[in-house]
Amino acid sequence: MKKMSDNLQAEEVLLKGAAAAPGIAVGKASLYRQRRPRIYGQNITDDQVGHQLERFEKALDVAREELDSLRADQDHEDASDLLQTQIQMLGDPDLHSRIENEIKNNNKAADAAIDKVFEDYLNVMKRQEGVLKERSVDISDVRDRLIQIVNNEDGKPRFEPGTILVAHNLSPREVIEFSENNIAGIIMDKGGTTSHAAILARAMQIPAIVGVKDASETIGADELLILDGVEGSIVVNPSTTTRKKYDERISRVAEEHSREQALCEKKSETADGHPFVLRANVEFQEELNFVDIYQAEGIGLLRTESMYLHQSSFRDEEKQCDFYRTVLKATHPHPVTVRLFDAGGDKFFDLGQEEQNPFLGWRGIRMLLDQRPLLEQQLKAILKSAGTYPGRTRILVPMVTTLDEVEIINKTVKKLQNQLKENNCKVDEDIEVGLMVEVPNVAVQAEDFARKTDFLSIGTNDLTQYLLAVDRGNERISNLYDQRHPAVWRLIQMVAEAGKRTGTPVSVCGELSSDPVAACCLLGMGINELSMTPALLPKVKQALCSHTLKEMDQLVSEVLKCTTTAEVDSLFSNF
Amino acid sequence: MIKEKVTIVNNAGLHARPAAALVKLASKFESDFFIHMYGYKVNGKSILGVMTLAAEQGAELELEIDGPDEKEAAESIIELIEDGFGEVYEEDE
Repeated sequence: MKKMSDNLQAEEVLLKGAAAAPGIAVGKASLYRQRRPRIYGQNITDDQVGHQLERFEKALDVAREELDSLRADQDHEDASDLLQTQIQMLGDPDLHSRIENEIKNNNKAADAAIDKVFEDYLNVMKRQEGVLKERSVDISDVRDRLIQIVNNEDGKPRFEPGTILVAHNLSPREVIEFSENNIAGIIMDKGGTTSHAAILARAMQIPAIVGVKDASETIGADELLILDGVEGSIVVNPSTTTRKKYDERISRVAEEHSREQALCEKKSETADGHPFVLRANVEFQEELNFVDIYQAEGIGLLRTESMYLHQSSFRDEEKQCDFYRTVLKATHPHPVTVRLFDAGGDKFFDLGQEEQNPFLGWRGIRMLLDQRPLLEQQLKAILKSAGTYPGRTRILVPMVTTLDEVEIINKTVKKLQNQLKENNCKVDEDIEVGLMVEVPNVAVQAEDFARKTDFLSIGTNDLTQYLLAVDRGNERISNLYDQRHPAVWRLIQMVAEAGKRTGTPVSVCGELSSDPVAACCLLGMGINELSMTPALLPKVKQALCSHTLKEMDQLVSEVLKCTTTAEVDSLFSNF
Repeated sequence: MIKEKVTIVNNAGLHARPAAALVKLASKFESDFFIHMYGYKVNGKSILGVMTLAAEQGAELELEIDGPDEKEAAESIIELIEDGFGEVYEEDE
């Protein structure tokens, strides 16, 4: 195929693919051609067998060392799991015996033997249908590396920092390795947005586009590229006009970013000097750097469902403990509120049960109290990690509806703490246990609940849903779901008052807290700890910093008089 | 010898991580372990063998376990598979 760079006048070309990881990158193309490594091997004589076997054994060792050290540097669990699979391949007993057989009985040189045996595996996969056969890239990657090592070839290209890597297809190992060269972006001919390469690019925040037909054939080395990881488009040899357009867009994004950064650095206090606290809602380890970027004061809601549902840590206390410790380490010295596993409702957790009304069913604490081992294992993992970072962990109990539930949790926490102490584990004696206020009965009885707990956290999404009897996931009626509904405000006010009367801190961790005017209203009610998706933090902060508490008080008294959402909306838009 | 049929239930199928978990578990037992699927037979203690099956959700496997600890092996292997390898949710694979 003709290279674009062969043209005298480089022409602007637009290529389309699937947006795999967001961000815009501008840079020169670095081409990466995975050539199948050459097979030099000849048929060998019987007295060379020993030597060839030795070369194979040694190649296994070298490859294992490489993968081990790559894995040791990996913070991303996906990446680490994938490398682990490749390490396991190197120890595959069938692979060993087949390759040894090729060398010993068919007199093949090590490289040819490796090639032949891997080819057999890949041929079987080719005959299969479906997406899983695409995963053969992990297998051929191990093959190629083994052959390169046997033949003393380095096989490790380096790229200029800031270039955009263009390849036919990348294995997870390659993405991990090349990311260390600070490449600006990744373009692949193959792969979907759910391919391992795409998942890793997102985790590592490298803008990436995959599934770009023939990109590696048509893009020439050193051609200038603009990679738009949001739109999934690539401009090759951008014209001056296009460059200008993108430069403007990039500088707009940068400006926005620096404005936000300035906001983030501002002191968290209202225009008349009343302090407030903004924290982050976090689910994945990868989000921890956003806590830092947006300068959230710790985590107001750490979701733990992903640990159970996505990863292998189901029933693994140590893995859970590692996760909490990683989070605590990254957010030092701020507090982290860990919500116990909150299954059910919209979070599908199929244990064979089908429910008529999942949102009113077996979820949150109800499920945990039925699954004591699961509950105790999680509590133990939390308590252990809290002991390492005393005074920073808070436990949050989801979907509470009765005072008995609170009592049982408190007792269980005490019991487990004593057990841990007996086993000489460090324990945080004063660990706080709080409740989610997400069912209206708890809000109505907020004072009773507050007396039994250390803090309350209002989950406005579920609270609104239960209060208004609207499933917001149901398209037919989702227009009835409104977090600004007057009844929601009055209920929140009740909880805030109960908190004041009992001296119990109240925070809000639902979507409502990321609505800037609503945040002002919450502050006016005396709720000065809000938690939200980190990226939404600057706008909220701006609103809170630019109003006085007095203005917020005024807003509250007017909101509490409203009878319809429309009235609330008009108040808000005039604030 | 124990022969037993199981179906892959997790959304993402028998991809790299579940395959690794299956092989790791099987290797703990002394018994031989083979998997039959659509006419293929692979060693269940071989990660490459298991990966080449490319078993997707809904695929039916026939397990063949033979050896001194076959009962225990069969139980835990079947539990792992029927449990969806702990990936009950849609994996973002």
